Amino acid sequence: MYYNIRHVTRFRYSAPISESIMEVRIQPRSENNQHCLDFRLHTSPRAHIMSYRGEFGNRVHHFDVPNYHSQLTITAAALVDISPPDEIPMALDTHAWEEIDQLTADDEYWDFLKPSRFAAPSGLLYAFMREHAIQRRDDPLTVLRDLNTTIYQTFEYMPKATRVDSPIDDALWLRRGVCQDFAHIMITLVRQLGIPCRYVSGYLFHQSHNRASASSDATHAWVEALLPSLGWIGLDPTNNTLANERHIRVAIGRDYADVPPTRGIFRGKAESELSVTVRVTPADVPPDADLLAESEWQPSPLSGYDPATGQQQQPQQQQQA
Amino acid sequence: MPPPFSNYYLDVAYDEMFDAEGHPRPAYQELYHRLLEMPSESLVQRQQAANMSFLSQGITFTVYSSNEGTERIWPFDLLPRIITSAEWDTIERGLTQRITALNLFLHDIYHEGHILNDKVIPRWLIYSCPHYRREMRGLHVPHDTYIAIVGSDLVRLPNGDFAVLEDNLRVPSGVSYMLTNRRVMKHVFPSLFGSYSVRPIDHYGQALLNTLLSLAPIGRAEPTIVLLTPGVYNSAYYEHTFLARLMGIELVEGRDLLVHDNVVYMRTTGGLRRVDVIYRRIDDDFLDPLAFRPDSVLGVPGLLNAYRAGNVALANAIGTGVADDKAVYSYVPQIIRYYLHEEPVLSNIETYLLSNEEHQKYVVEHLEELVVKAVGESGGYGMLIGPHSTGAQREEFRRAILSNPRNYIAQPTLALSRGPCIIDGEIEPRHLDLRPFILNGDRVTIVPGGLTRVALKRGSLVVNSSQGGGSKDTWVLEAQP
Amino acid sequence: MLSRVADSLYWMSRYLERAEHTARLIDVNLHQMLEQTGMDTTMRWELLLKSLHMSPSEEVNDAYIVTELLTFNQSNPSSIVSCVAAARENARQIREQISSEMWEQINQLYLHVKDTTMAEMWFGEPHQFLSSIKAGVHLFQGITDATMSHSEGWHFIRLSRFLERAMATASLLDVYFRELLSTQQPSEHDSGQPNYLNWVGLLRSCAAFEAYCKVYTAVMQPDHIAEFLLLNAESPRSIRFCAAMMQTALQNIAHTTNTRSPSKAERVVGRLRASLDYDQIDEIISGDMHAYLENIRRQCGQIHEAIYQTYISYPIDMAITLRGAAQA
Repeated sequence: MYYNIRHVTRFRYSAPISESIMEVRIQPRSENNQHCLDFRLHTSPRAHIMSYRGEFGNRVHHFDVPNYHSQLTITAAALVDISPPDEIPMALDTHAWEEIDQLTADDEYWDFLKPSRFAAPSGLLYAFMREHAIQRRDDPLTVLRDLNTTIYQTFEYMPKATRVDSPIDDALWLRRGVCQDFAHIMITLVRQLGIPCRYVSGYLFHQSHNRASASSDATHAWVEALLPSLGWIGLDPTNNTLANERHIRVAIGRDYADVPPTRGIFRGKAESELSVTVRVTPADVPPDADLLAESEWQPSPLSGYDPATGQQQQPQQQQQA
Repeated sequence: MPPPFSNYYLDVAYDEMFDAEGHPRPAYQELYHRLLEMPSESLVQRQQAANMSFLSQGITFTVYSSNEGTERIWPFDLLPRIITSAEWDTIERGLTQRITALNLFLHDIYHEGHILNDKVIPRWLIYSCPHYRREMRGLHVPHDTYIAIVGSDLVRLPNGDFAVLEDNLRVPSGVSYMLTNRRVMKHVFPSLFGSYSVRPIDHYGQALLNTLLSLAPIGRAEPTIVLLTPGVYNSAYYEHTFLARLMGIELVEGRDLLVHDNVVYMRTTGGLRRVDVIYRRIDDDFLDPLAFRPDSVLGVPGLLNAYRAGNVALANAIGTGVADDKAVYSYVPQIIRYYLHEEPVLSNIETYLLSNEEHQKYVVEHLEELVVKAVGESGGYGMLIGPHSTGAQREEFRRAILSNPRNYIAQPTLALSRGPCIIDGEIEPRHLDLRPFILNGDRVTIVPGGLTRVALKRGSLVVNSSQGGGSKDTWVLEAQP
Repeated sequence: MLSRVADSLYWMSRYLERAEHTARLIDVNLHQMLEQTGMDTTMRWELLLKSLHMSPSEEVNDAYIVTELLTFNQSNPSSIVSCVAAARENARQIREQISSEMWEQINQLYLHVKDTTMAEMWFGEPHQFLSSIKAGVHLFQGITDATMSHSEGWHFIRLSRFLERAMATASLLDVYFRELLSTQQPSEHDSGQPNYLNWVGLLRSCAAFEAYCKVYTAVMQPDHIAEFLLLNAESPRSIRFCAAMMQTALQNIAHTTNTRSPSKAERVVGRLRASLDYDQIDEIISGDMHAYLENIRRQCGQIHEAIYQTYISYPIDMAITLRGAAQA
């Protein structure tokens, strides 16, 4: 299956800023059943775009815009080929728990087993575990499938209930959130069971009528867990499915903190707002020419470094749906 | 003992000046006789002259827990600490061996990780270290030199051997005091200095500059080197200005630099000037708000990417703190054996890893006898000295250890060696240590001596300047013909 | 040199000049109060405040209040204590770039001002205190000239000092001439000349009374006064002299930094100096003097802006393509 992905990120600033420097993690990965055949990135104002292969194998693009500007647009276009992932059995045998422990004995997966910034256990999380009897039983795959469903059924999908930097307690308390929260909660729970688990950011192609999916909620977050003989398998608790050929993987990490689609610092005393538009279309359908229609603007956290007052800089980010 | 040594005492600790029978050691004979002959006012006067010299030069440092004004004049003791040529030879060989091994270790754990695969050091110990920077994995460092500037602290054990107490591989400080102490000593006590053949140390500035030059990216004909300081409010600011002036390089703050298209530039009145090597005296965390702590105003956004691209060199590299973590310290003998297939020349101090259950149990039950340290701290902070602690302090540490054992190690309370100091016109023994300064450029260079730090309070074992210690000039003698 | 360091040296010097000027204005005024009527005093305080671009309020008759505002008031950024503190803070940030003697002197001046209260000054010897400020600044300037290398940093210091002086003198001239020329009323204390004491006050405020007398005698003739303060080639108090000093400093800076000459700042100061070199005082006075002086102030403002644009906060990509590339 071929997909065209267009991902446009716009920043606008309440006053002109300068010396803006940014990293973007937007290029889809090429491995296993997915290949990124083409990827282009450009910015307005223009910048020289460079890239490196970062932690966990993600391709990171970066650039800087030194002179004064009041807005910045980053346009990324990718062509991705995905074949359906291998069949996952319904369950593994009961030796699988031992095999996981052997797999993880030399700490090679330490990063994906230990608490990370957004995936750290709390009192509310332990209570959730008790409430839903989340513990080692049967075999790991069965437990993961059940956990997928449990989260799907227990939480209500509601944008804006939480923020981009919300700890899991926010969603746990409200029983609401977006896919970023569900992924973090799942990761924290799966790690508690001693299964290495990591965060995946990417896109989900929503098939709706004949039209391609619209608006910014086509960016998506789900998880991958490491199982013996199967390797890393993807689970999507927001949709109660395993990752399939509609899940397009962009970046992996311990949690969202490792893979924000954009992260930047600038110089100036201004407020910034962020607007993201994503279109994922099957490649035999012509890409939507109406991409540049804006989706709504959201406030992003106050950012910027004011040399006069020494005021602080902060990254500009958007929550993943 | 005869005056001015009437208050002097000896015990189990090694005394630098006197042997167990109270006779002055050969290297100290000359000093001993001078002191006997000298009228006590003369001694006091010379000490005062030295103090005045520091005062008029405005040589200060910052003590964090003082009530008022944070700057204090550098406390200097006039009596030199003397090391024989043979003793120094051992130290030099041992430190060269150590820094070579640690450099190989750093390269390894940020690349293939053989030492971890071979289970010589537990992988989790490295991964759980807050100073282990995943961003450095696979990153090419110029000449594979991770640690170009190192200060390792040595102590002398009761049997007279030197041992390494801890390594400082991030931003070791004190070299400016070493150089100033020597200058003041020659000024105030020239006849004594002249009667000994002391190895010179004033080539340090040149050696440091050469070390930094050796790191420059290839192809840069006249590399621009800068010293990056957190600024005037930093406790070591004096040293930053001193070194920049000594080497003739620009002293910059984060806001003076910017990164454009992965190249680092300095904002000058003559336009942007490209920077090739940064001797950075800022911790990793604050170095780049894009890569590390976003709230840092001290750093340079985009610096890590410029470093990754090989367009700028950093001394020291990012992520070296994993090798001066005090828990990793306990593995250094194994590290030396693993990479160099040699026995360590200088030994470690016995260390208990509190993440080890057995060790933890022992330590928690014997806190009054031990010294407990937080693994990532320096400057004597985050430390419990068992024999001098209160019950409340021990309880605080007990709780801290149990809640985060990975963060602590313990060592037996050492009887650090003692040396003669001028205290109120008399000469009394005080505990001291030694911090030689090691440079690792084209080759390893160690300036003879280093900074001898003294715990000026009677009986105290804390020598750190930030907690009220003082220092001495260190004399390494030329070899006898 | 680092742009930030140039910036700090520039402001350190400018704030000190400002403090010295303010101290002199107050000193002259307090002195003249002894010899004049209440009306004249009020007028003179008004003039003083206007020349410093502050709006006079009702308390202008109360010399204590005005003096306090101008000397010790920390919420007034132009007060002596604020200026000295700002100068010292700038010096502290670049302490390693100035000689230790310079630092000691500015630190001492700061401590002296900080440790004196309004009451102590007022009920003690105001003249002594204000003189000590002037002396403290002069001493600093002298130490600077004697101990600091006369290289780029030193030229920035001179540049801002003469810029500040030119602007302050132009303001003072403007305010005085507008007031005094329009009200040519003889007062009983004048030595046969209208506004005699006021003109003396103006000259003393510019530290130019004695030098003026050497050139023109003690006769207070407005056009001579204007000529002296505007066009005199040799007095360091004249605006023409200041322009010449600024030009020299800028040329030196341009030379050290390999700036493509002439920079915008050099062009503006060159024009200013040329007009001061060739203008005739009778033309100035018969024309619109206010506009003339305003123009001088505006040009000084442009010079300041241009210095910033060229040396301190320039646009990044231009800097790389025009100048940085040569050094990359």
